[in-house]
Amino acid sequence: MVAAAIRQEIAVSVSPPPQIAFADVTLELGGKTIIEKLSLGVRPGEFLCIVGASGCGKTTALRLAAGLYQPTSGKVNFDGQPMTHPRREIAIVFQDYGKALLPWRNAAGNVSLALEAAGMKASERPARIEELLRTVGLPGHAGKYPTEMSGGMQQRLQIARCLAQEPKTLLMDEPFGALDAMTRQGLQDEVLALVAASGASVIFVTHDLDEAIYLGDRVIGLLPHPGRIGIELAVNLPRPRNQLSTREQPEFLRLRRQLFDFIKATEQ
Amino acid sequence: MNPATAKDRVKALVLPLALVLGFEAWARASHLQSDSLAPPSAIIMALAGAFADFSILAATRDTLFSAFTGLAVGSIVGLALGIAFGISDVLNRLMEVTIEAIRPIPSIALLPIALIALGFGYRMEILIVAFACLWPVLILSRAAVRGIEPRLIEVSRALRLPATQRVWKIIIPAALPRIFVAFRLSAGIALIVAVTVEIAINPLGLGAGIMLAQQALRPDLMLAYLVWIGAIGYALNILLVVAQHRLFGRAALSGDSP
Amino acid sequence: MNLIAILWRLASFAVAAGFIALWQLVANFKLVSPVFLPGPDRAWASLMRGFSTGDLWSKLAGTLEHMAYGWLAALIAGIAIGAIIGSSLMMRTYVAPSLEFLRPLPVSAMIPVAIAMLGLTQAMALFVIAFGAIWPIMLATIHGFAAVEPRLYEVARSLQMPRLAVVFKIALPSASPDILAGMRLSLTVALILSVVCEILAGLDGLGHWVLLSARAFRSADLFAGVILLAVIGYLTSVAMSLAEHRLLAWQAAQR
Repeated sequence: MVAAAIRQEIAVSVSPPPQIAFADVTLELGGKTIIEKLSLGVRPGEFLCIVGASGCGKTTALRLAAGLYQPTSGKVNFDGQPMTHPRREIAIVFQDYGKALLPWRNAAGNVSLALEAAGMKASERPARIEELLRTVGLPGHAGKYPTEMSGGMQQRLQIARCLAQEPKTLLMDEPFGALDAMTRQGLQDEVLALVAASGASVIFVTHDLDEAIYLGDRVIGLLPHPGRIGIELAVNLPRPRNQLSTREQPEFLRLRRQLFDFIKATEQ
Repeated sequence: MNPATAKDRVKALVLPLALVLGFEAWARASHLQSDSLAPPSAIIMALAGAFADFSILAATRDTLFSAFTGLAVGSIVGLALGIAFGISDVLNRLMEVTIEAIRPIPSIALLPIALIALGFGYRMEILIVAFACLWPVLILSRAAVRGIEPRLIEVSRALRLPATQRVWKIIIPAALPRIFVAFRLSAGIALIVAVTVEIAINPLGLGAGIMLAQQALRPDLMLAYLVWIGAIGYALNILLVVAQHRLFGRAALSGDSP
Repeated sequence: MNLIAILWRLASFAVAAGFIALWQLVANFKLVSPVFLPGPDRAWASLMRGFSTGDLWSKLAGTLEHMAYGWLAALIAGIAIGAIIGSSLMMRTYVAPSLEFLRPLPVSAMIPVAIAMLGLTQAMALFVIAFGAIWPIMLATIHGFAAVEPRLYEVARSLQMPRLAVVFKIALPSASPDILAGMRLSLTVALILSVVCEILAGLDGLGHWVLLSARAFRSADLFAGVILLAVIGYLTSVAMSLAEHRLLAWQAAQR
């Protein structure tokens, strides 16, 4: 307990500047205020999860972080600079992986797209593609087309393409929502390993509270209409996480109860 | 696609209006004297004149008569064959090579044959239109019959319906929405082919009218015919789309090409 | 192709041969006057004669040339214009409806206008063929570009891909099924308009050949010409199918 308290104190006092920071961000779309005066930040190497009931604007917040939307007021900063357009250092993994992959290119071709955009020489690409595919667990599938792959494989391919961008921040929009439970758990652990190895910060949006606690260093819960922060929890669970033991920890269950009550309250 | 809002519809008119008005202004300013172009105002006058002396109306009647008769003949034959090939896989496979051989003949290539066989006039035009309309109706109605929910075919078998009743009561109604789409497509083809035959050689209808206007060096009348032909084609298409929505609603929306 | 498919194919050829035999019978018994309906033997003889004397070769080449020039011009212009219109929402709102309006217009109705402007010349024919062939390609390209999955554009933005790269690596491949379908339709239109222009303007080609044969009641030559036109139609269709098969292999994987 003492060690944890000290760790939290240290974390607060020497926290590095945020990789991505929202400063009083408001976004209005089609006459509706989707999110209002939202302020949050994710530090380099931090795994931040965002949860909330439907319509709370968590996907919108992610798209703002990706630079796909511009805030109506307030600022979205990346590395201290305001973001005016999407950047290669911020990679976004979409939930509808089928739509985010090029159906006319095979797996290698899809990963190659990111390398081509970064200007990598054609001769250097095959080695890097093979390395990335191996990292996400798709070795030897380079010649397969997305439609020939299962949902889990397609999502891995999208992650591979995002990793090819050498991102400082990885944004993930309910990436495992469309997958079955077994595949989901496997990919959760793979993502944790990938992120730990690359040191990227992550903003992970999900409606699965267990997933948010399992993966994150911090969990933010948004209130709907308009979207704003309702709860913020520090997840002081040991790393590396384990599907069985971590989920049985009293701390895990405590956080779970807190989040569950929060969501329940917002849905009224 | 998003449904067109009223604002979208207005925007759609901006370009054509601008072009027409711009053309009118330019023609007047440059005192246009040409065998091939005429200002919109002159075109409208010529159109009005052609209406007044019924010339364009008679021509329209002739063209539409040929087109619709040809459409009817071609559709009936195409439908009959399409249903037959759709129901009987054996028949379909046996006829494959023959169909593949005859289908690519451009309908216009039959024009000289029809000409020596039937001479100028309605019959040769109807024959060519029928040939042109037959193929889309055949191909699409065959696909429609093949695409019928297999359950329905099983039901017809279980009820031990005789062949004619099976076709009439189950197959045709089930395939009807897509057959209608084929019919709509062919109607457009019918008009185009009829006008083309008239332009190429047949001295009747709107096609002949527009050619005569050009030969008489009357660009205003020629362009008036052009506008009128376009209007007829457009109106025909709208009519059939409305009919399709009325008769079939959402059922026919699948397989609808833009 | 497995054995059963081959057998069906052979049976189908046999049926077609049967129809030809029927045709020959009708001709032999003069059930239809030989002035209108030559037997397949005479049509074939005329084909051979035409090729050996070189007549039909030049006519065939003439029609193919008209088709080729007109179609290629339409291809380049159609895809370019279609890409520009299709990728811009503003263009689509203002321009596309007018184009849709012009779609059902019989293209052959432009022929008199073209004759008025350019006379009964090759230039007129090329203009008419290109003008007619451009519509299916352009409209298909507009549709294809407008229907690109928006998510892919977001991926491109996230990768900071330059505009040109987005067009060539994302929009064009995505639209290629539509564009190829449009190209196929355009080939048909190009063939038909070639024949019509040749008939009207007396230009060297199969259209002119069949018209002269008809006027002189040389039915065997007439049928030979019609058969050749059908062969052109068939071969261009096969060529398009091969191209589609090659370029759209990824779509086949989807089924």
